[in-house]
Amino acid sequence: MITVENLIFSYQKQKQALHGLTFSVADGEIFGFLGPNGSGKSTTQKILTGILHGYGGNVRLFGEPLKEQEKRFQERIGVLFEFPYLYTNLSALDNLHYFASFYPAKRRRDPIELLTVLEFKKDFMKKPVSSYSKGMRQRVSMARALLNNPELLFLDEPTSGLDPQGAVLFRRIIGEERKKGTTIFLTTHNMMDADLLCDRVAFIADGEIKAIDTPKKLKEENSNHQVEVHYLYQGKRNMTVIEMPELKSGIPFPYDEIISIHTKEPTLEDMFIQYTGRGLK
Amino acid sequence: MWRAFLSLLKKDFKLMLSGKFLLLAFGSLVLYSCYINLIYVGLDQDIYPVYLYDPFHTQEMVSSEIIAVDSTEELQSNIEGGYAVGINAFSGTPEIVMVSSNMRSVDQYRAAYAFSLLSPASSVAAERIGADNKEMKSRREITCEFLFFELAAVGFLGLASTLFKEKQMGIIRVHGVLPVSKTAFILSKLILFLLSDLLFSALLTVINLGVAEGLSVLPHVCLQAGILSLLMALVGFFCAIWLPDFKQFSLLYLVLAVFITTPVFLAGQTGIIREGIKYHPMYHLFMAMKNAYRGVSSANGGYYMVCGLTFILLFLLVRQVLVREMAKEG
Repeated sequence: MITVENLIFSYQKQKQALHGLTFSVADGEIFGFLGPNGSGKSTTQKILTGILHGYGGNVRLFGEPLKEQEKRFQERIGVLFEFPYLYTNLSALDNLHYFASFYPAKRRRDPIELLTVLEFKKDFMKKPVSSYSKGMRQRVSMARALLNNPELLFLDEPTSGLDPQGAVLFRRIIGEERKKGTTIFLTTHNMMDADLLCDRVAFIADGEIKAIDTPKKLKEENSNHQVEVHYLYQGKRNMTVIEMPELKSGIPFPYDEIISIHTKEPTLEDMFIQYTGRGLK
Repeated sequence: MWRAFLSLLKKDFKLMLSGKFLLLAFGSLVLYSCYINLIYVGLDQDIYPVYLYDPFHTQEMVSSEIIAVDSTEELQSNIEGGYAVGINAFSGTPEIVMVSSNMRSVDQYRAAYAFSLLSPASSVAAERIGADNKEMKSRREITCEFLFFELAAVGFLGLASTLFKEKQMGIIRVHGVLPVSKTAFILSKLILFLLSDLLFSALLTVINLGVAEGLSVLPHVCLQAGILSLLMALVGFFCAIWLPDFKQFSLLYLVLAVFITTPVFLAGQTGIIREGIKYHPMYHLFMAMKNAYRGVSSANGGYYMVCGLTFILLFLLVRQVLVREMAKEG
């Protein structure tokens, strides 16, 4: 679906934002693009969505070079921005009807149906967006991104501004889109989203990809194979870290009661820091 | 393509309505028309009154427009206002007495006019072209000035204000990922404001010049109004996108308003034409508009060519800043 080879981009002559990115996203895959602010992830997304031009290297979308594609390729993509950009003087339905009008009729989805799936309050559908909460605006934005039944969906911080219920709903909808065969390019700071949703993730820092793999493999490869044991012994609570192979012959220390055993598996954020030397925020 | 363009037009019209632009334009139309019809046409001031002190009747052929006075004191008091001109013929040789306007050309004109009234028979009547009366002349001039001001300043602000709204909502960036061209995005706004300005021009002209006179000059007026509207809308578009916030825009607007209206009040109201005014681009637009109100198209091919090139240049600039705005961070 997406093939990027040696992608470079400079905003000014001295300021190079991307230093030869190479990666690919398969059809129907959810690909996480993780990086701190200013790492080049937004620039990459802008190039892939046709907003930024003047880049170097090869970018192929839908099997064709991006540079050779006309504006029409945007009929096949959906983009959710980090902030819910909407006409605040118009209602949710007016916004969606307006944006839908730019797509061919055969691609369009019914705005009311979409809003219903997104659990949008019915009595607000015809009220101006200016009266909506951030969560409601984010739902309308998501509906806008899905309006044209996109084959490739770009999501930038999709769960930002949502309450936990909303975040769960969005993750479910993203999962359903993937089941339909939609390829998803997810840009996020939210490690939980990346871990739960992504088939593969790429860590980007300073315009370079530092690591790329499935979240599971990344964690496994960097695991120190240790477990943390909390236990009671002679009336006192203790904690000991032991190597996993030691467990083969049972708990290798005296105890009265085991309270819990946890693997000391690294999180995605730990991985990111390990690969880039920087935190995500 | 057309469906997308119509959607853009519809959306821009809604924004225009919500921004109360049409209401503002209608208010301006009513205000200008009331001023022209109820105040301006009644402000007709007589040409310089001329007072003559000639106790020995040395001047034989005196125009009936001259007002005779009986003393130098009376002559003095009548010219104190700074507008009237006095002639003292006490010595037999007429001498001009007046309070200077501090403008050499105006003083010379006043003196020449006063002298011309002493020998009216020798004056040569000017050839009269056209059937304009004084009131119609005033109506043409003031209507032209109001229209120029409205299109140059208010039109510029109108488009910019709707665009600022879209910019603040961040919605311009969304159009960067929609299958709609940037050219269509710009053109929809231009066409909407052009139509609104043409309607305004037609109504202002017909209401204040009368139906017959108004319709006779309307094609010329609409052509010039269209040129001015498009150019100013593009300048407004550029400034609204290029400048980061409304404060800076307001400041620039103030500067532009002074820059644009200066030639109007210099060349239009006072008749003072400075040497460098011909280099002022808005002066040429204003003079073309003035001539349009006289029903003549004095502008030549060069004028239209420069306007066309300016339009293309501004359009490309606007497109460039629009691309930059779409690529901005949230």
